[in-house]
Amino acid sequence: MSGTYGETTPGTRRDLLRRGVVAGGLALGVGAFLGLRPDRASPAPSKALDAKIFDFALLLEYLQAGFYGEAVQHGALRGEVRDFAEVVAGHERAHVAYLRKALGAKAREQPSFNFGAATRDERKFVDAAVLLENIGVAAYNGQAAKLTKPALAAAAQIVSVEGRHAAWISDIAGRPPAPRAADPGDSAAQVTAALRATGFLRG
Amino acid sequence: MRTTAAQQPESLESSIDEIVAKLAEVDVDGRVRETAAAAFPETRGAFLRRALVGAGAGALGLAAVSRASAGGGLTKNDVAILRFDLALEYLQAGLYTEAERLGALTAKTLDWARVVGAHERAHAKAIKNLLGRKAVPSPAFNYGDVSSNERAFIKTAVAFEDLTSALLKWQAPRLDSRSILAAVVTLHSVETRHAAWIRHQVGLSPVTTAFDKPASQASMARLIASTHFVAARTRTARKKRAPRYTG
Repeated sequence: MSGTYGETTPGTRRDLLRRGVVAGGLALGVGAFLGLRPDRASPAPSKALDAKIFDFALLLEYLQAGFYGEAVQHGALRGEVRDFAEVVAGHERAHVAYLRKALGAKAREQPSFNFGAATRDERKFVDAAVLLENIGVAAYNGQAAKLTKPALAAAAQIVSVEGRHAAWISDIAGRPPAPRAADPGDSAAQVTAALRATGFLRG
Repeated sequence: MRTTAAQQPESLESSIDEIVAKLAEVDVDGRVRETAAAAFPETRGAFLRRALVGAGAGALGLAAVSRASAGGGLTKNDVAILRFDLALEYLQAGLYTEAERLGALTAKTLDWARVVGAHERAHAKAIKNLLGRKAVPSPAFNYGDVSSNERAFIKTAVAFEDLTSALLKWQAPRLDSRSILAAVVTLHSVETRHAAWIRHQVGLSPVTTAFDKPASQASMARLIASTHFVAARTRTARKKRAPRYTG
């Protein structure tokens, strides 16, 4: 999934071309790829749909919070990467708490994760962090137009912070912090596939 | 779901009127349009179109472009929001493009300006397409020494990127069209990336809170006014324009 969510070849010509293509896509009209989600194609926003989407987002936030929490606990990170993990762990825990409160009794329980060496090896940690933050941005962006307005207002405050995390860790890693002119949203199925591909989810 | 209700768009029209009036008042000398055109020359545009078609533009639903880009079917509210964003993108694109052209900033800052300038130009173009015939042309801007003074540039860039991200959060729940909303959110997270990037580059905290708060169009209008970037119309320009309104 690194081709989609993490730029592994910073500053290459291919990267520039990809940026250019995205810019070209935008020039042709954001409506082009937004045409995939016309007003009438998706179900009307409702509190029930908000709850489904928030519960899905909760899985992502559990995973992020668990990942950073474990990395901090292991104490293998140094310098700014360690600062990043500590700050971001706090944010992801706050996101989990917010979503759990909004969902009430309907909130899913935290699954168990297997992060392997990604929470102990700095290089692997940085790769996984870039990936997870980019998945977070794509996940929220993909669901935004399906939310009721109050839920959207809340989700926008969270995705904004995910975008900042993504840019921060990318800059630390020497990768483009904002690789594209637009961050296209991904469907729930795409996000689930991307999360499964990390190998962090058990079962 | 216990989320706070989104506030009604209070005084939305007046804050937009304020900025649009100010922007429309000034003479259009096409400086920003020229730089935007230079960024998307015909040949490159044609290449990109081919590239996009090759990349499966059919699957992206190119047929939807004409529908979405006509500006038809947009509510008055959505047109007002998009026009505000377009003016803001013109202003940012113009500043970063001028900084890149002058080349007086540090290499790191210039690299940021080059990448982010290209993004803001793409955003302006995309919003223009969404607005179709309802799009407004770019006014003239006068950035003073902000495009060539490192400290002034960074201060301004951080303020604009942070506030643009906050503004899009304010606008998102106020948009009527879900298609337009789906478009705007893809720009929103990129603006937050820009903000975090420049902050990190200059040693500021890239992210200071777990929840980024929204900020109204009125606050953005205040920031724009404080910069004095929107150039005042000159006497000569006024004279030159006069015949257009008397015939």
